[in-house]
Amino acid sequence: MHAALNKYRCAFLLGLQSNVVYRWNFAIRSCFSFFQLAVVFVLWRAAYQSSPTMGGFGFAQTLTYFVTLIIVQFFIGAFNEDYQINEEIRNGLINQFLLKPINYFLYRFSIFTAARVVSGLVVLVPLAVAMPFLGHYLVLPHGAWRLALGFPAMAMGGLIQFTVAYCFGMLTFWFLEIQGFIILSMALESVLGGQMFPLDLLPAGAYRVIQYLPFYYQSYFPAAIFTGRISGWEALRHLPIQAAWALALFGLASLLWRRGLLRHTAVGG
Amino acid sequence: MTLRQYAAIWLASIRYTLVRTMMFRGDFLVWSLVELMWTSVNVMMILVIYQHTTSIAGWSEYQMLLLVGTAMLIQRLLMGFFWSSIFEMGRNVRTGDFDFVLAQPGNPLFMASTRKIDPDGLVNSVVTLGIVAYAAHHLGLHPGGVELALYGCLILSGLAVHYSILILTMSLAFWLRNAQGIEGSYFTLAEFGRLPREAFRGVTRILFVWLLPVVVVSNVPARTLLAGLRPGWVAWAAAMAVLWLSLAVFTFNRGLRRYASASS
Repeated sequence: MHAALNKYRCAFLLGLQSNVVYRWNFAIRSCFSFFQLAVVFVLWRAAYQSSPTMGGFGFAQTLTYFVTLIIVQFFIGAFNEDYQINEEIRNGLINQFLLKPINYFLYRFSIFTAARVVSGLVVLVPLAVAMPFLGHYLVLPHGAWRLALGFPAMAMGGLIQFTVAYCFGMLTFWFLEIQGFIILSMALESVLGGQMFPLDLLPAGAYRVIQYLPFYYQSYFPAAIFTGRISGWEALRHLPIQAAWALALFGLASLLWRRGLLRHTAVGG
Repeated sequence: MTLRQYAAIWLASIRYTLVRTMMFRGDFLVWSLVELMWTSVNVMMILVIYQHTTSIAGWSEYQMLLLVGTAMLIQRLLMGFFWSSIFEMGRNVRTGDFDFVLAQPGNPLFMASTRKIDPDGLVNSVVTLGIVAYAAHHLGLHPGGVELALYGCLILSGLAVHYSILILTMSLAFWLRNAQGIEGSYFTLAEFGRLPREAFRGVTRILFVWLLPVVVVSNVPARTLLAGLRPGWVAWAAAMAVLWLSLAVFTFNRGLRRYASASS
């Protein structure tokens, strides 16, 4: 057991090292995320001038939601894991994992976790810089239960995001070019995952349907718990659904891996 | 090389891309769907916000649709004509495949940015033009030939500015060891173009309206359709196009000096 864990610990440490090399990339991306926050700030401040509340929330609460969502994304979002898997399959680099006693999903997940530790810490730098300007707009609700439920939701959200990216990567066994599928999914995630607007602003019927889709649980759900957009009872009711999605997607990922390997041709020595 | 020869090269690239697109029709359909989806996402955001408010910085729902349509039209034209080539440029600089562009007997920036077009982006520019026409119809606008020609020229100057920003962004590949994902920065900046100028105040106004021109290049053509010609604004948009294009060419050439090549 210890030996099994040790190899993933090594993969995690390797991932940490290689991602620290690309810290400037993460730094630039996180700075641009705060530019995105400027878009959010300008747009929603202008929208709130004609209407002091939207869906029962004021401007400060909506801005807090978007700031939280960005931070959550840097800690648990899948950035380019699908492309990395795609390249490993296309270039035949995946062959080395077929000959070694290592689980490819866990290996990739260890690297993903390391990358998120680096990107999550890097995003705190522009956040600290922006705090003097943003600080007085942010209103986080009190209640330790929000942290107690929000962190598990965040961990499962990360697992869902990684598994979705892993599944897209697996599509390389069938399609050489998967970029179109990935960007299509990004467009869906941006709407159904609450990146364009808080989902509770949608008509009630549409919001109820979205609550049963996996996109809702990627980063909207933890961000909504932290920022008080959903109640404790609602959070408790949805945690099992989130866990069910994580399990279902893991099952799908395993299936795609097994079926994909049947189609895979390893060439060369 | 003469302008005529450059035009012939670009036309040959377009012909090659169209033949290739017809070979991979499924791919073309997926990418058209991708572009359509992103257009729908932006329109949907406007519709959702206007369910809870009546105005954004004094712009009504259909005025905002006209502005968002205009901003997306510029972006789709960029995606259609230049995106693939410039995106590949970043990757090729990293891998050393940029040698292939440098070995060609033409201006490297022209050669690198016109290797292929994206017909899906061009198809969706028609969709965004449809959004502009739909919004104009609801606003009861009836622009004459002069206004439409002016609108077209302003869209082209906007395209020049967006092209420059994308070149500046991807030129970072000459300085960074790994510029993967850096193209997302361009999309972030482009999002400002979908906001009304009046929504910016204080520091954001200085930064995003006057220093970074993405707001001006979408607001000026939209305003021209809504309220007619304002010479000062048109001059500003044209000056921005020249200035940013010069900056992009300068930065690209500076970056080119750092390119280490992959040849042995």
